[in-house]
Amino acid sequence: MKIPLYLAVAQWMLLFAFGLLLVVVYRQLGRTLRKTDTADPLGPEVGSKAASLEYSRFADDTVQYLTPGDGQPTLLGFVEPTCLSCEKLVLALGTAEQAGELSGLRVLLLTSSPKSYLKVSDAFRATRLECGRILAQATTEAYRATSTPLLVAIDRDGVVRAAAPAIQLAEVRTFSRACLLPPAVGESIPITAAAPQHDNDLEAAAPAAGAD
Amino acid sequence: MDVLVLCAKTAVACLLIVAGGAKLSDPASFASTVRLFIPFRVAWPLLSAIAVGVSLGSSPPGLASLTLPAITALNAPVFAIACAFAAVSAMGYAFHRGRSCRCFGALSQRKFDASGVLRSAVTAGIAAVALAHTGPAAVQLDATARVLLLAAAGLLALAAFTAARASSTGSEPEPEVVA
Repeated sequence: MKIPLYLAVAQWMLLFAFGLLLVVVYRQLGRTLRKTDTADPLGPEVGSKAASLEYSRFADDTVQYLTPGDGQPTLLGFVEPTCLSCEKLVLALGTAEQAGELSGLRVLLLTSSPKSYLKVSDAFRATRLECGRILAQATTEAYRATSTPLLVAIDRDGVVRAAAPAIQLAEVRTFSRACLLPPAVGESIPITAAAPQHDNDLEAAAPAAGAD
Repeated sequence: MDVLVLCAKTAVACLLIVAGGAKLSDPASFASTVRLFIPFRVAWPLLSAIAVGVSLGSSPPGLASLTLPAITALNAPVFAIACAFAAVSAMGYAFHRGRSCRCFGALSQRKFDASGVLRSAVTAGIAAVALAHTGPAAVQLDATARVLLLAAAGLLALAAFTAARASSTGSEPEPEVVA
């Protein structure tokens, strides 16, 4: 049986396209395996320049672009509505915010979940803090947010001053102070990028991050 | 000559199918690129809808072009889409240089740059080659072959969707609103 010329061409083209996609998937598999390596650190390196990031703000469904180093200190929280430790952090941040302890700071909660997921958590539903959805995987990679909750303190020059899992109000206070450190002083903060912690291990890891 | 034209036709069709499938895997990221080309404020749900529409708009012509090669009328819309991609690429280069184009969703980290304009121009050129006439015998497919090609095209779209979802990546973020 004679195969039409087009069919022969299309077969080879499709084979090539499938091969290309297979390479892409295998490359991604390698990256994923590397990312989940337990030797990977959590959070950006203290002292490094914080990366710009893009998120969809839940309040008005608009895309926002955050550029650390624009003169405003920033407290970033990487959280998930389905994570119980994250709920505790959101509550602690809310308490600190109501007490006026976060004044002068830009506080931003980032999640990879869609807006509808906020409904599952009372803390997330009720919070008045700005929440948004991360739009690019590059953001979580740049901030090495491999588990939640992760709190990152960025000073007015866009330098990461502290990064670690945090849950308690005392830790939130320590982080907010870290944001406001004058760059010239270079005060040592007892918070550093921690070893990777899985969500279940966070409670054990967080107290070491800095008691107030 | 027929082989060249048919190669061009199939390549562009595959490109459209992969681009559509990959973009559909992450409409939120693609919507932020779409936003760059809308000069006024648009609600995020509408942007997402436009992004999904654009993604869906590129796959069916590719699918039809791949499975119904004898219908030469399909070549013109495919060429028009390739030209539209080239125009968007040129506009992106002119006004949003260095930002992610997300032309293939998370499958590609390409940005709006000179090489991107060149690539899209080459794609439009290939689509133009596909406009050329081919011998009817070369594109006469029976029903079974069409169904098989349709299945393969669907699988290609699904594979692109899955690969892009796995990558789920986006390139360096860069929309313009400053928080």
